[in-house]
Amino acid sequence: MTLISDLQIAAPEILLSGFALVALLVGAFAGDGSSRFLRAFSTVVLALASLLAFRQVALPPEAAFGGLYQTSEFTSFAKGVVYAIGAGALFMSGGAVRRDGMERYEFPLLMIFASFGAGVMLSAGDLMSLYMGVECLSLSSYVLAAFLRDDLRSSEAGLKYFVLGALASGLLLYGASLVYGFAGSTRFDQIADAPYSIGLVFGLVLMICGLAFKASAAPFHIWTPDVYEGGPSPVVAFFATAPKIAAVVVFANVLFSAFGVMEDQWALIVAVLAAASMLIGAFGALNQNNIKRLLAYSSIGNVGFALIGVAAGETFGTSSILVYMTIYVVATLGLFGGVLAMRRDGKNVELISDLNGLSRMKPALAIALTALVFSVAGIPPLAGFFGKLMVFRAGLQADLLWLVIVGVISSVVSLGYYLRIIWAIWGKEPAAALDPVDFGVGVTVVASTVITFPVLVIWIGGLINATSFAAAG
Amino acid sequence: MGWQEIAALIVVFAPGVAAAVAGLGQRVLGDRGAMAITTGLVLAAAGAAASLFFPLVFGTHAEGAHHETLVLATWIDVGPIVADWAIRMDTLSIVMMFVVTSVSALVHIYSISYMEEDPHRARFFAYLSLFTFAMLMLVTADNFIQLFFGWEGVGLASYLLIGFWYKKPSANSAAIKAFVVNRVGDFGFALGIMALAFMLRAPDQFLNPDGSVGADYLALLGVDKFSSVKFDTLFGAIRADALVQPFGAATAVPIQSVTFEFLGQYVYGLEIVGFLLFIGAMGKSAQFLLHTWLPDAMEGPTPVSALIHAATMVTAGVFLVCRCSPVYEHTVVAADIITVIGAVTCFFAATIGLAQNDIKRVIAYSTCSQLGYMFFAAGLGAYEAAMFHLFTHAFFKALLFLSAGAVIHGLHHEQDMRNMGGLRTKMPITWGMMVIGTLALTGVGLPAVEGLHLGFAGFFSKDAIIETAYASHDTFAPLAFWLSIGAAVLTSFYSWRLILMTFHGRTRADHHTFDHAHDAPVVMLIPLGLLAVGAVFAGGVFYDAFVEHHNEAFWAGSIYRGEDNHVLHERHYVPLWVLLAPAAAWVSGLLAALYFYGLRAGLGARIAASGGPLHSFLSRKWYFDELYNFVFVRGAALLGDLFWKVGDRAVIDGLGPDGLTAAAKAGAGGLSRLHTGYLFHYALVILLSAVAIGAFILFGQGRG
Amino acid sequence: MDLTIGHYVAFSAALFTIGVFGIFVNRKNIIVILMAIELILLSVNINLVAFSVFSGDIAGQVFAMLVLTVAAAEAAVGLAILVVYFRNRGEIAVEGVNVLRG
Repeated sequence: MTLISDLQIAAPEILLSGFALVALLVGAFAGDGSSRFLRAFSTVVLALASLLAFRQVALPPEAAFGGLYQTSEFTSFAKGVVYAIGAGALFMSGGAVRRDGMERYEFPLLMIFASFGAGVMLSAGDLMSLYMGVECLSLSSYVLAAFLRDDLRSSEAGLKYFVLGALASGLLLYGASLVYGFAGSTRFDQIADAPYSIGLVFGLVLMICGLAFKASAAPFHIWTPDVYEGGPSPVVAFFATAPKIAAVVVFANVLFSAFGVMEDQWALIVAVLAAASMLIGAFGALNQNNIKRLLAYSSIGNVGFALIGVAAGETFGTSSILVYMTIYVVATLGLFGGVLAMRRDGKNVELISDLNGLSRMKPALAIALTALVFSVAGIPPLAGFFGKLMVFRAGLQADLLWLVIVGVISSVVSLGYYLRIIWAIWGKEPAAALDPVDFGVGVTVVASTVITFPVLVIWIGGLINATSFAAAG
Repeated sequence: MGWQEIAALIVVFAPGVAAAVAGLGQRVLGDRGAMAITTGLVLAAAGAAASLFFPLVFGTHAEGAHHETLVLATWIDVGPIVADWAIRMDTLSIVMMFVVTSVSALVHIYSISYMEEDPHRARFFAYLSLFTFAMLMLVTADNFIQLFFGWEGVGLASYLLIGFWYKKPSANSAAIKAFVVNRVGDFGFALGIMALAFMLRAPDQFLNPDGSVGADYLALLGVDKFSSVKFDTLFGAIRADALVQPFGAATAVPIQSVTFEFLGQYVYGLEIVGFLLFIGAMGKSAQFLLHTWLPDAMEGPTPVSALIHAATMVTAGVFLVCRCSPVYEHTVVAADIITVIGAVTCFFAATIGLAQNDIKRVIAYSTCSQLGYMFFAAGLGAYEAAMFHLFTHAFFKALLFLSAGAVIHGLHHEQDMRNMGGLRTKMPITWGMMVIGTLALTGVGLPAVEGLHLGFAGFFSKDAIIETAYASHDTFAPLAFWLSIGAAVLTSFYSWRLILMTFHGRTRADHHTFDHAHDAPVVMLIPLGLLAVGAVFAGGVFYDAFVEHHNEAFWAGSIYRGEDNHVLHERHYVPLWVLLAPAAAWVSGLLAALYFYGLRAGLGARIAASGGPLHSFLSRKWYFDELYNFVFVRGAALLGDLFWKVGDRAVIDGLGPDGLTAAAKAGAGGLSRLHTGYLFHYALVILLSAVAIGAFILFGQGRG
Repeated sequence: MDLTIGHYVAFSAALFTIGVFGIFVNRKNIIVILMAIELILLSVNINLVAFSVFSGDIAGQVFAMLVLTVAAAEAAVGLAILVVYFRNRGEIAVEGVNVLRG
């Protein structure tokens, strides 16, 4: 194992970190004037990293850096989606960043570091690299959440995210230390071989808590609504998409690859987390009027659906997790594009009532948002329906009928608030006109709509095939 | 493809094309264009139908009966259920094609003048053609699905036409009533088709490995392809008494012996199918219990009444029963139900006809009554007689309706006979037509003279039915016989009453109307004349072919009779008084009418004014509308109220949507309140959750 | 009395608990929360090093070094956010941090 081959294996992350470090220097010397250039460049680099990651899917699984870094089809695919979505989020952030006074060179770089962290934790083959990835993602995210320095809500969101995130990291880390102590190794493959002990189970439980927090699965979701509401919209668009799929897939990957033999222990916990997430996601949003807060609950609920796939286990669930999360984050990116488009008289507005009569003011945007909302709600024939179908099927294959029933009930309940959005868009009298939509936002919303319907509907078979790896993990 | 096939295609599709062109292109074509196109195409269809029909009757068609099915396209092909778009060209279908297209063509011509002043003439003609097309799809179907398509198509067209004057509230409610009552029947019909599809399944031992039906079974049935909804498959199976294995049944049973358990009783499958199909027929043909829509349907324009509610659509039920003769030949209960319902209807509708004042309603009840004759004839096994009466009735009833239309037209849309009278001098031709129609309806002719066919159309067909009722050995045949004699008396009475009240005596119309009353224009009189020819001659000319010596050659197997069903033949051996009874009936009806409305003019009105119980009972149509209103409408409303207020609102909504919504809102509110915004609460939630999960695992350990 | 692994783990658990309690029992000052977080990370470090020593596997000590580094970064980020927050809010009472709720 030479360094060169290690670097080649970890090419996407090397590219990102290398670029980020150089760009940091550029920014430090050139100042905020380089911000636009760096943002554009970062978008391109994330897209490149995405290509590299997707290329890894086709390659056989490899380990690098003494097992710290481990590629697999499952995680590489997720990484590809994470980077691509991250690029999308960065691409559409431009207008909002400029207008809201976030035009500083750290912004794109923090996004890059966060994506890099997500990539590292996805590729982790070891508790240490997992922790480093998680922390890299988390620390960048804390800063991003508080990026509107002059805004109380943004800084409070950052503060809350930081304190609770640190607590969750503490839980994760304490669990990791217990796992290390009782398994005798930090390597996933060796942990998997370790004999069963109660300490290991405790470590597992604490790690699940920590990872569940990162994925904002109930009841560790508690930070999500506040952070989504307070955080700057472009940042929240990023939070809700790229790190979300990364966290869920890491959650699955750690459980599958390090604790696969203990599936009996964790499957039920994950199922309970899934059920709680779906129900809280469904019920919590019913009373919300702030669209960002509503989308936070929606994302909690959707993580719950994805966790059905995790609870179903490696054999049945792998493909469904990727399919579900991919479809979900694509649609969510578009939805947050809609949130970014909600500006009136130069100010961000984020109440559902601000969407009133959108169908008459901006019919194209209205149609796109309608399709995206229906997709996230899982209405056929949109792509989201197939995602739900996949996880439900996985759940049924794994004999988790009760969980699927909870899922269906939550789907129905959550229609309640999805339809409120639709009703506001189509049924209400128009409020004052919204400002014109940014180019980047428009392109992203259209792209995500087109991918949601019809592209992923037509090629849903292709997506399922591409994510159905023989013996994943 | 021979000329017959081409003719059949013209018959079926010319009206369809006419409806499409006139309906969609009425703005381009204008009223005149639409009228010309529809009338022309329907006339062409009538010509084509005549070219199919007459060779059949007069035997110039060398090959004898043409008995083939022209398959146009496959519609449904799902396992054992295969339905084609097809034109079945057997005698039964061709008779119906001829009746439908010829009456329709005449009605089209008549309407040109009758609807002259209507601003929506193009729409009217498009509907008429649409109706004709649907009716033709119905009669030419070779399977129950296409039949059902046509069945619903005529229902739709009838709804559109009854409600044609959509600004009139009464027309709208009549249209809805017709539609709803027909739905009741159609529901039965649909269930019948489903029961058939359920029952008629090839037994497992005849299935090929790939699930298709084996060749030997097909040969047994005499069909090329198995389809549980096709007439040929069903009839073949019944004829051969083939083994069938209903879905879910463990063993195969001969089709005539298939039984189903229903409410603890074992019922023959064919009885169920026959009964359910007859429910559909009852609705469409306005038979007793489902008759209430027909009189109200008179709200539509008069040509519609003639076309739909006298000549064609209402006879669809009779056609269906005759078409399914193989089924009814092997049922006892279902056939008896048909007999009883038919007999009761023929008498009951006639009694109501006595006391109606609306000229069209009298004829409508008369139609109802005559359909009763057809049904009990079919129920007794004399399908040919039923079809014959259907055939002749189409002419004289259309004649009566269109003559009534001429009267109404001449009096500027006055329909109440109490405001008529003395019109004979004002509209002599219409009077003549009406008298011809009445003579045909009441069955005037020379009875009991062998070999001499002298009489109006109704004479032959109605007397054939009455004789059949006497000759039949069926349990309910005597009932049918006596009721039909009674109905004949009443028919004669109300028909002459109509003539007398409308055309004779001193006029009760106001001066202005009376002075301006006039015969209809020529365009309206031509159809009347042609129909009058039919009403005079249709009986005598076609008597042989339909029910006499040549009937077997004529029907050529399109109507099936069981081996022990000789009722059509046995009617020749009835006593003389049975032959004379109908004649006595019409004479006595005529005399009574003359007494009440001629000699003692005004007596009838006085009876009506005195408001005696019998009169009000009859004029209020046996209180059926009131009864239905009370039982079904009010009952349904009450039940609906109960379900709505208690069942739905309190229980289902309360526990369901509303309750769940409230619970969801409360839950959402609770969740919101949990979100205090305080960091320490959040941290506590996270920690407690972690502890709970840990405890959960430990607990699980302890148990495991 | 020999120190066994059990003593270390118990000590670390106690530290961890104190740290966790520090987060939600304290309602006054956010700085205390930052310190509590440091306590949690310290408890982890003790765990890691103790396990490393007792099992003879060096990885735990490497992990501890990483945790120390991350802890420093975390403290820096935390303080920075706190400063931003203070500038907007004018106080750092934990009970004041509830603009976002519901």
